[in-house]
Amino acid sequence: MNLDARQVSQWIGRRLAAPASAVVTGPQPLATAILVAVIACAGVVPLVTSAYILQLATDILTFAALAYSWNVISGCTGYLSFGQVSFFGIGAYATSALVLHTGIPWYVAAVIGSAIGGVSAAISGTIMLRLRGIMFALGMLGLARILMVVSSNWDYIGGAAGLTLPAQLTPVAVYLAMWVTVLVAFALNYFVLHSQWGLSVIGVRDDEVAASAVGVPTSWVKIIAFIMSALAPAAVGGLVAWNRSFLDPPSAFDPTLDLQVIVFALFGGIGTLWGPALGTVILVIVGEQFWAYLPDLQLALYGVLIIAVVLAFPGGVVGIANKFGWLRRRPVAAPATFPTVTRPAQPATAGNDAVIEVRDLTVRFGGLVALNSVSLVVKRGEMVSIIGANGAGKTTLFNAITGFVKPNEGGVYYQGKLVSAIPSHQRARQGIARTFQIPRLMESMTVWENTLLAARNGKRAAAAVDQAAWALHTVKLDNRWLELPNKLSPGQQRRLEMARALALDPTVILLDEVMAGMTRDEQGEIRAVLRHFRDLGVAAVAGVEHIISAIADISDRMIVLDRGKKIAEGTPEAVLRDPIVIESYLGKVS
Amino acid sequence: MIVLQLVVNGVLLGGTYILLAQGLNLVFGVMGIVNLAHGSIITVAGLFTYWFVTHTDQSPLWLIPCVFVVMLAAGAVLQRLLLEPLAKLGNRRELLSLMVTFGLSYVIVETALNFFGSQYVSLPNLQETWSIGGLAINEALVAAGVLGGLISGCLHVWLHYTPSGKALLATSQNATGAVTCGIDVRRMRGISFAIGSALAGIAGVLLILILPLSAPTADTLTILSFVIVALGGLGDYKGAVFAGLLLGLVQSGVGYYLGGDVEVIVPYLLLIAFMVLRPQGLGQAAR
Amino acid sequence: MSGGKLHVRGGAFFAPLIAAAVLFAAVAAHAQKPIVIGASISETGPLAVDAAYHLKGIQLGIADANANGGWLGRKLELKLYDDQSNPGTAVRLYTRLITEDKVDLLVGPYSSGISQAVAPLMNKYEHVTPMPGASLPSIFSAGNKWAFQLLPPATGYLDGMLPMTKALGAHKVAILQAQLSFTLACGQARLDQAKALGMDVVYSTTYAMPPPDFSSIALAIKSANPDAVIVCSYYPDAVGLAQALHRIGYAPKFFAETIGPAEDQFVSALGPITNRIISNTSWWPSLKTHDNAGFIARYKAMFHEDPDYHSAATYAAMQVLGAAVKATKSLDQEKLRAWIATHEVETVQGMFKSGPTGLSLGFDQYMFQIQNGKRLLVWPAKDEQAKVQVPYTGQ
Repeated sequence: MNLDARQVSQWIGRRLAAPASAVVTGPQPLATAILVAVIACAGVVPLVTSAYILQLATDILTFAALAYSWNVISGCTGYLSFGQVSFFGIGAYATSALVLHTGIPWYVAAVIGSAIGGVSAAISGTIMLRLRGIMFALGMLGLARILMVVSSNWDYIGGAAGLTLPAQLTPVAVYLAMWVTVLVAFALNYFVLHSQWGLSVIGVRDDEVAASAVGVPTSWVKIIAFIMSALAPAAVGGLVAWNRSFLDPPSAFDPTLDLQVIVFALFGGIGTLWGPALGTVILVIVGEQFWAYLPDLQLALYGVLIIAVVLAFPGGVVGIANKFGWLRRRPVAAPATFPTVTRPAQPATAGNDAVIEVRDLTVRFGGLVALNSVSLVVKRGEMVSIIGANGAGKTTLFNAITGFVKPNEGGVYYQGKLVSAIPSHQRARQGIARTFQIPRLMESMTVWENTLLAARNGKRAAAAVDQAAWALHTVKLDNRWLELPNKLSPGQQRRLEMARALALDPTVILLDEVMAGMTRDEQGEIRAVLRHFRDLGVAAVAGVEHIISAIADISDRMIVLDRGKKIAEGTPEAVLRDPIVIESYLGKVS
Repeated sequence: MIVLQLVVNGVLLGGTYILLAQGLNLVFGVMGIVNLAHGSIITVAGLFTYWFVTHTDQSPLWLIPCVFVVMLAAGAVLQRLLLEPLAKLGNRRELLSLMVTFGLSYVIVETALNFFGSQYVSLPNLQETWSIGGLAINEALVAAGVLGGLISGCLHVWLHYTPSGKALLATSQNATGAVTCGIDVRRMRGISFAIGSALAGIAGVLLILILPLSAPTADTLTILSFVIVALGGLGDYKGAVFAGLLLGLVQSGVGYYLGGDVEVIVPYLLLIAFMVLRPQGLGQAAR
Repeated sequence: MSGGKLHVRGGAFFAPLIAAAVLFAAVAAHAQKPIVIGASISETGPLAVDAAYHLKGIQLGIADANANGGWLGRKLELKLYDDQSNPGTAVRLYTRLITEDKVDLLVGPYSSGISQAVAPLMNKYEHVTPMPGASLPSIFSAGNKWAFQLLPPATGYLDGMLPMTKALGAHKVAILQAQLSFTLACGQARLDQAKALGMDVVYSTTYAMPPPDFSSIALAIKSANPDAVIVCSYYPDAVGLAQALHRIGYAPKFFAETIGPAEDQFVSALGPITNRIISNTSWWPSLKTHDNAGFIARYKAMFHEDPDYHSAATYAAMQVLGAAVKATKSLDQEKLRAWIATHEVETVQGMFKSGPTGLSLGFDQYMFQIQNGKRLLVWPAKDEQAKVQVPYTGQ
């Protein structure tokens, strides 16, 4: 046991320098068990020591519940909020007004207050969640300010003078109720981070467009996550108001509360299961001791801490722990080994009915006509390639078929029905799958989870697992199933996108720039997958700019677009000999 | 007459808003990030002006060039140390840059609190009120409005008629394209943050003549500036001129007819309404 | 070895003496064990400037008591925490003072907001506490038994303004209120008073904090053209509104603001437009209250600056506590509470007298006017240093 300091520091240095793999398979019970044990002990201590310790512990729980709630919407869903205190205030007022005006017991009022918080999140979410990024962040801050002014002018809830509440709750009751709230908030985080449904939430954070393309109803997912992030703050608001016996607008909608919560969650690790708890406990307890010597600098040091954590350890405490193999996330619904592929044979889809029909489709962006009255038909199980130079309108065509662009004229029919009014995630669920010009993969999910997210599509959990395994096996990525997408080669990333599309159980897959940037070997692998589509009865529409030879021999038909217009259509041999096509591609041969 | 005076007040207020917002706007346009420390730079410049004037008895206007130069340097350093490391982080950059500038704003505000104290201060300079045809017009507000207009004009000339400005404009429109044209995008980001900070600094020098400032005012100013930038269409400096005037006029009318409570939340209501109804901003509408 | 022997012998010889000395020291130490006064004050954060005056009044009260031999023969000692201007932190710190530090006596924190947050603790733990930072009357409503208001209530801010201006011929008034609990209490009281006096309220509005741009409100005041403008203000809005009136070139005959004009920066910030602005205070250096001159002199000697009304309030709180401890010869909370609730005490701030729910009944409000850069008491007549100057000119 000659472990000298130099070795230890070298080991720590290597660990810190190592790229963090955020996920781990296999059992990791030790760290979790220790954490749970420590928390359980810490939960009992305040009850047997002093009132001051009890108050301190209650404050920690308060902040932990708020940090966990903020983590759902901002950490997991990626919508940074500077105004979650809105729900704290709504809950505080709802609970207080209920007890004062109806006389129901406080614990019932707290539960109803929490529900009212959830309802107000559902209502405000329909408007606020249309905003993105900084707009959402500051829009929420504005919402808190608006609520503060409204409550100041509403006499039923005390107006600006505030409400004085009878001291009903004992500190122990508040403490225990706060524990319940924290556990609920924790459970919601656990659900989001470890359930199949939670993948949709993470998907929205990583890439909202791609999530929608694999069938995630992003608007709903966001609103549900928003509601989840409002429940605990509303309950906490009610408890804090009753604990203090007083409530007024500035204390109900105090923006510095959000500052503290953000600092705690960031320090612990945003979007992680243990980060909010670790950040809160460490900073409140350390802060209590440390700031006593530097009271003037507390908030300035918080600022320095935020900057330092972001620049040096963006993952926070949990991010550092990950590098040592602790507290790593386990991939959702991943068995210990790659599941056996048990997909039943596809039912033979005979017939050559039209799967996709596009009629006189015109799309304009301002003055630019991206698609000019394009019509085409894709039949079941058919392989169609659409060729055209950059700007010919291939991507716009795909976007219009999948619902990401609204056509100005004309319509898109899927299996004979007009789908122009159907949102993109529903088209994906009905069987119109797609890939993107530049692969859009969920960067924080493993290959497995990327596929599983698409495979869910209304299925039961076990069926989704089977479907995902089959899709990955089909594109031959089963040996890399626990990698993160950024570890894959470009060809593998393309195949992962194809697996994701296949996992949707599609009737047609639209492949945008399917061969771009591939080596010859990678092209071969993708050609193999494309050929396989025909066996599965899946129609494929491949957009191609260059490398036409790699796609021509496996295509049934070829369509040529030029500056938004269809200029040729037919078998590959016929089209590639067509003088108009040659002219548009190679220039006029004089 | 009342309506006319309300319009005059609204325009003067709008001029001040334009002054506040253009620095933030430039930073957003080129770097794609919202500098949440913008308001704290304005506030600290204002508090420094107060300190300077009360200690030296000089006119605050002398400070404008000095503060401009100092903040230019400080902005360049801050950008290099705190924001440039984030530039290569892809789509997490937006969130992380918000966090960094959020932290920075606390560092600036709290340090200012320790140095200048928490009390509100303002200066009695340039407080002449002229009566022109029965309309009251205040010197400080005119100065702020003129400076705001001047800055917007200079930005226009610089961005459209000088090589360095054109490079900056190109970067703001398409960073990848700018790289392929041989523009040093990293340098452009540095320049934009430096100039953005310098504009915030001189806004502070004038603002102390208009509003009482104290360290905690910083957040309010950041939000106000952001609302104007957002209303104008993020990064659109002409749109910001319209937005500043619009906000000034609306606040002026609302304050008169509906009272002080509603006036305070006008920026937020406008922000949320516009973001939902017209996310592309005012500037696009005006063209 | 021999040293050891000697030691033993010496120890045996001195043993009785040492024992006696130890016993004496223990008794003396017990007698000397200080009375601990606990308080949490906003030493940092946005309230820090005014809270510093608050703290100095307590410190002077303790120093004065100790110079006169302490209370019950024991020295006084201050156990002080910093709540960082945060009500939640203050709740935690007062809980700590009561349950962990087990201090003998408490003094309330600075500001109505923080007092409001901690007052329920005093009732929960039954700890008698003078509240020198709480002008808000609603803190001392039904159910309160242990907290005592050591300031005149905010409902009395500028209560002389309407009678005084009415006597000078004013009839139309404008009343503005910041959306803060104590300014709203003041505003409502003035609105009621105007009605009672039969005066005409021609304009009234509230505004949220942080204050908006006041140019439109100023214009609305100008359109209503009142004789007197009363603003129940906090500091930044007091400055903002005075500026806004000046910028549209309007000057009402009487112009009064609550918080603001008492501060030195108010005049340096606004310059000559502050001339003839009227404001209120709960304490003034020229008052002939008991030992006021002595208080000012000792305060200057200790802190090398002038006291303000915050320091007078906390000093008065110490005077009330001291009188109660001396009269009851005990630190028993219930005895102290019963005594304070039923006795009047002469303080530098005037006569302390508590109502049944702890609301102050004894202290008076005063009004001063800025006259050529000097602040002079102009109301009530018995304490006035100068006659009120009319009209306010705005320059």
